[in-house]
Amino acid sequence: MWLLGLYVLPLLGLVPLSLSEPLSRFGLDTVFTGRVANYSEVLQAYGPILLRSFSFAAIATAVGLVLAYPLAFAIRFRGGRWQPLLIGLVVLPSLSSFLVRAIAWTSLLGDNGPVLGLVESLGLTDGLNGLGVLRDGRLLNTPTAVIIGLTNTLLPFLVLPLVVAMQRIDPRLLEAAADLHAGPLRRFIRVVWPLSLPGLGAGLLLSLIPAAGDVVNPRFLGGPNDRMIANAIDNLLLVQLQAPRAAALTLVLTALITVAVGLQLRGRGLEELPLP
Amino acid sequence: MTQNRPHPRSRRTFLRQLALGAGAAALGPALLQACGRGPGGSAESAGGAGGELVISNFPLYIDVDAPGAPGSVARFQKDTGIKVRYVEDVNDVRQFFARIQPQLAAGQPLAQDLIVLTGWMAERLIRLGWMEPLPLAEVPNARNLVPSLRKPSWDPEQRYSLPWQSGIAGIAYNIKATGKELRGIDDLFDPALKGRVSALLEMRDTMGLLMLADGQDITRPTWAAAQPSFDRLEQARKSGQIRRFTGNDYQNDLLAGNLAACIGWSGDVAQLAMEQPDLRFLVPDSGGVLWADVMLMPKGARHPREVARWLNWVYEPVEAARIAAAVQYISPVEGVREVLAKDPATAPLANNTLMFPDAAMQKKLYVFGPLSVQEEARWEERFAQITEG
Amino acid sequence: MNRAGALLLGLWSALAYGLLYAPVVVTVLFSFNAPRGRFNLVWQGFTLENWRHPFQDGALTAAFLTSLGLAVAAALLAVLLGGLMALALSRARVRGGRWIELLLALPLTNPEIVLATALLTLFVGLDLPRGPLTLLLSHSLFCLSYAALTLKARLAGFDPTLELAAQDLGAPPLEAFRRVTLPLLAPGLLAAMLLSFSLSFDDYVVSSFTAGETLTLPLYLAGAFQREISPQIQVLSTLVLLVSALVLVLASPPRRSPR
Repeated sequence: MWLLGLYVLPLLGLVPLSLSEPLSRFGLDTVFTGRVANYSEVLQAYGPILLRSFSFAAIATAVGLVLAYPLAFAIRFRGGRWQPLLIGLVVLPSLSSFLVRAIAWTSLLGDNGPVLGLVESLGLTDGLNGLGVLRDGRLLNTPTAVIIGLTNTLLPFLVLPLVVAMQRIDPRLLEAAADLHAGPLRRFIRVVWPLSLPGLGAGLLLSLIPAAGDVVNPRFLGGPNDRMIANAIDNLLLVQLQAPRAAALTLVLTALITVAVGLQLRGRGLEELPLP
Repeated sequence: MTQNRPHPRSRRTFLRQLALGAGAAALGPALLQACGRGPGGSAESAGGAGGELVISNFPLYIDVDAPGAPGSVARFQKDTGIKVRYVEDVNDVRQFFARIQPQLAAGQPLAQDLIVLTGWMAERLIRLGWMEPLPLAEVPNARNLVPSLRKPSWDPEQRYSLPWQSGIAGIAYNIKATGKELRGIDDLFDPALKGRVSALLEMRDTMGLLMLADGQDITRPTWAAAQPSFDRLEQARKSGQIRRFTGNDYQNDLLAGNLAACIGWSGDVAQLAMEQPDLRFLVPDSGGVLWADVMLMPKGARHPREVARWLNWVYEPVEAARIAAAVQYISPVEGVREVLAKDPATAPLANNTLMFPDAAMQKKLYVFGPLSVQEEARWEERFAQITEG
Repeated sequence: MNRAGALLLGLWSALAYGLLYAPVVVTVLFSFNAPRGRFNLVWQGFTLENWRHPFQDGALTAAFLTSLGLAVAAALLAVLLGGLMALALSRARVRGGRWIELLLALPLTNPEIVLATALLTLFVGLDLPRGPLTLLLSHSLFCLSYAALTLKARLAGFDPTLELAAQDLGAPPLEAFRRVTLPLLAPGLLAAMLLSFSLSFDDYVVSSFTAGETLTLPLYLAGAFQREISPQIQVLSTLVLLVSALVLVLASPPRRSPR
């Protein structure tokens, strides 16, 4: 149980660090000076990136949800005896290394890649350019590419809790509703939707938050205008060697996220987490 | 200096207490003992066991074992009987620094006996007093070091470092994609190439080239002189002219056709051009940036004699030629060109001006000068604002 | 639901699977490519050559084996400790259980770099040289959260009176645990193991801080892919996927329709 100390204590250690100043440019040693200005400085410098991170994550989650909800529904109510296998297939791609996946995405989304080829042969290039989906007819190193990568990464985390929640829906409930002459749409709105809500909450949490803190997709699929907050923390810590500022930015992010998790947890426990 | 001033709350002590508390509770003293690595007792446990020479280098920066042709590490082991653990774990010099810094700052030895890092990073480590002078008295072959790399700005007395390889930062481009020969840095800012240009995350290389094009002296870089180039870069990033800032991975994008032109490194492009004949490397007339990656011995390295044997061995022209033929950067060892010219298989390399710059090329090459500690912090912050948006 | 609706649902689901599998398909395809140079990025032509020498790339194979061993060890450790934690949390009414759950959820929801820096400062504070041991500790730590929560969820749906009943029937507590609790937990254990394995096997950020000079597969790939993408990378990835798919099929046989 106390293994958690490994995680929590250093995290608490970030608090004084975030209020410190480095003693020397290249030393680990910092001195605690209660420098609150670290926070205002990082908020000022990285506020826009923070906002961008959460909006990319939100868009990716929304796109993911549009795909994930029907998929979860199909697995649960149309999967039949293949249900366990179909669930497994959702997880399987996560087992290939993220770098290998990034390499694959770059060849798919590249300027000479098949996706742009398809878009072009359908005559959609100008339209998508106008919508801002493509930038100058390009896909790789644009926000769209980052969001595609993010959606791919978070999709399993959306699908699994939804399926778990839907598995708890007793089919007899639906039969009873049908007996009461409720049409399919009504059955869905009255029975399936409300009962799947806990899974939806857990799924949103589990996809939105890691997506907001993602390093890989913006780095490999994005351009310099599409960096996200974890890239900035990375740079502060590793390149600029500004540990106190990195700590401050980290804590801002942690605080935002912990509040979200705490709110989500207040009502229910973590029973809705994904389990295949 | 601040060293003698007692700090009311040194972060290090605080952390150590914190860590000890957590560690003791988490692992239990028994586990710590079982691992033989209790607090403070790490001196003999860290690093290479029993006479094993540990070297860290960038990936794919040496000739490797091929069927029937053992690579340099294998041949060295056979020739000298010294066991080597050659680790390709320097992906990024800054990240590597962040990794080794806590140990070195605490006065603990690293596992490595020898590390290969870029010149400016060598300067930082030497200045911090974290490096040991190299055992050059036992390295007679060090006299083979080419004159142009002797007594560099990062190690003016040539005590702590010997170059591993050096190279040039310049412009790489695909002539089919640009449709014309490029002339200089201005071409990277040509609107016709918008979104198909990349620059390097290595600040001194990207900024060096831009400043040279701006007519500045990069051997004595100043904050004020850099401003126009910073502004130009920022503008190009915001407008979407620059698609990415990269490490060596611009190579992928050049090959896949996502880039028409970029700032790149000579050795990479020399190798790539063999696969993709449309690729060109240009050292602009305004000047190219000459850099070197150097071998350093961290404080407390346990195998200085083995280090000396290794240094001497890789400075043997015959051995150095094999490494040069594999990586195609500029070898710092005199006599490599002659060795390569003798073998018909490698003879074309001997005439490659990217590997052996001729006098005309030499005149165009400049080494980025040292930045003071405070200056560097400002530079890096500004550069990060551009590259990390 | 009418047939058009069912068809639409099927197509939509196929689209979702398509997004999930697009990079996988490319990876498998490129394991059969015959690249012209160092970078296996542009399709040149079909070959089986790469598959005849899957372990030709020595450094890659070494890193692969390191990661494999590490992931297995970290998964075992995480599931063992996570299982005990889950039992404690769901059985004994631990005081502050909610808080512990919140703490457990933190590593799931915080960016990895937070954990990475925290662990590095901790290990330096402890004078613990970075290497296989610190890798194992840090990997089992972030796997622990996932394992404990997965298992706890599994236990939540489990009736503790079953175990009591077994004890009433004369089974000693340990025997009751082995015969009743463990089999019921088995699917959860397997899921937790697989999840932990994949997390550890694919970890880059935490490893880059805690590995010392040990090279795991993602660490090796992150450096190497900038200078060379050998087709063996795709071959080994495909192998991992194949083995996982096999485990998956064996572990989840089609079951009777829930209706």
